[in-house]
Amino acid sequence: MRLTIEEVKHIAHLARLELSEDELQRFTEQLSEILDYAARLQELDTSHILPTSSVLPPRSMLRPDEVLPPLSPEEILRNAAASAQGQFKVPPVLE
Amino acid sequence: MTDYEAVIGLETHIQLNTLTKIFCACKADSWNAAPNTNICPVCSGLPGVLPVLNEKAVEKAMLLAAAMHAQIQSLSFFDRKNYFYPDLPKGYQISMYEAPLATGGYLDLPLPQNEARRVRIAKLHLEEDAGKTKNAGGKRLIDFNRCGVPLVEMVTSPDLRSAEEAAQYLTRLRQLLRWLGVSEADMEKGHLRCDANVSIRPRGAAYLNPKTEIKNVNSIDAVREAVQKEIERQAREMEAGHTIESWTLEWDEDSGKLKKMRSKETEADYRYFHEPDLLPLHISEEWKKSILTALPELPLERRQRFVTQYGLPEYDADILTAERSLSDYYEQTVKAYGGDPKKVSNWLMNDVLRMLNEKGMTADQLRLLPAHLAEIIRLIDEGVINNATGKSLLEKVQASGETPAAIVAREGLAKVSDDAAIRSICQEVIAENPAEVENYRNGKATLMGWFVGQVMRKMRGKADPNLARAILEELLAQ
Repeated sequence: MRLTIEEVKHIAHLARLELSEDELQRFTEQLSEILDYAARLQELDTSHILPTSSVLPPRSMLRPDEVLPPLSPEEILRNAAASAQGQFKVPPVLE
Repeated sequence: MTDYEAVIGLETHIQLNTLTKIFCACKADSWNAAPNTNICPVCSGLPGVLPVLNEKAVEKAMLLAAAMHAQIQSLSFFDRKNYFYPDLPKGYQISMYEAPLATGGYLDLPLPQNEARRVRIAKLHLEEDAGKTKNAGGKRLIDFNRCGVPLVEMVTSPDLRSAEEAAQYLTRLRQLLRWLGVSEADMEKGHLRCDANVSIRPRGAAYLNPKTEIKNVNSIDAVREAVQKEIERQAREMEAGHTIESWTLEWDEDSGKLKKMRSKETEADYRYFHEPDLLPLHISEEWKKSILTALPELPLERRQRFVTQYGLPEYDADILTAERSLSDYYEQTVKAYGGDPKKVSNWLMNDVLRMLNEKGMTADQLRLLPAHLAEIIRLIDEGVINNATGKSLLEKVQASGETPAAIVAREGLAKVSDDAAIRSICQEVIAENPAEVENYRNGKATLMGWFVGQVMRKMRGKADPNLARAILEELLAQ
């Protein structure tokens, strides 16, 4: 399945990736090949098979509603590129 | 001018009142908590962590789904909704999309003249909340406390036909959420959030016109006002021959105006896919059954039953079923009293409700129990105390927790209906007030009330006022 350059640009944008012209060309080729490979699965007739979402036994793993102590804000904020007033600080967002 | 009707759908987000978040053991309620004090690696989106679903969140969502007459699905999935926004640390929100927790459902809103508006539910699923961001000096600060708080997203079909109906839907929904005990449902605290989709069309038309979406409406009054203003604006636009554009509008509480937000150019591509870190959610028949046995009689059903079973006016039934513990209190009192249910309703609506409002309590917190109230009404029926004494007993029982009969005996509150005792006080009052007696005899009949009042005062409220009046009339006629 051939992808167009425009489609690859759109996918890159959704993933917030900035690609050079060169990379766009290369990834268009590679992504198309990957899709072709995956498309071989379409040759099989799966209309009578239910989609598999998990191979584990049909049992829900649930957690009791009990509070455990949180991490301290200092520990969590250590991962922040910038912080202020106990909060994560990011550049302004354009809406 | 064309006669238009409004077509309104409401998208609500309901914060479930679980102790912990939906996928981690952090405290869910962060009201008044300092920023980032209820977070952990799971809800702040650190790599290598696994979400684990909160059992209670599923159970509360199941109760709500059943109360909305929706079908709870035996198998549902969580999906990732991918988008980039700083309040979403993982880069995706865990929500349900393809296989939601429940499908279908409706709420029947009572309308005047015994009619009802069936509001269908188009969407009902579980998801996690995002964090909060705020602007500060050209930067944005982020608080992740709200990340991962369990929400039910519930969207109605475009079945509401006026701003008033939209407000009523929210009132009934809030009542139901509190009744079931699944959410605190306080709109001002964001436990219940609402966006409204509004369009209009000539009355009776079957097609849908482009709609606008109103965001940021934080109270039921604001929803009513914002939707009404938008209906009027659209009607003006159509009358002027303009078409309605699909704007997103923001309600500004302070100015009471709708402001246009930046319009979306394209529908976002969320690239939904099943959340690989969570197993499918299986709800067995046994689990469902054990949860749904806790489903109480619903407020609108109870309201209807109060009308038919107790012969109450709809107005009374509506007020008495506004809140679950009040309606329980009413029924327990009726049972304990055994007399006219309307009389019990009057006591509750006039006196007990005032007491509850003044004290900021719910009926189940009162020391004045249904059995006490029933006893007070009976003491009046039997002529042991008069009405005013009965009312004063409410506060006395509430303050002491003693039974009304015990208080009546100790304080000597039983009404004096002894003819001789009242007669001698009446004679005293007449002897002490010659001027009033003369005025009364000269035709100022309204003074009778004043005379009765004097007698009651001398007897500290214990006289039977009807008897006092009869004796006074007899003495003054001489």
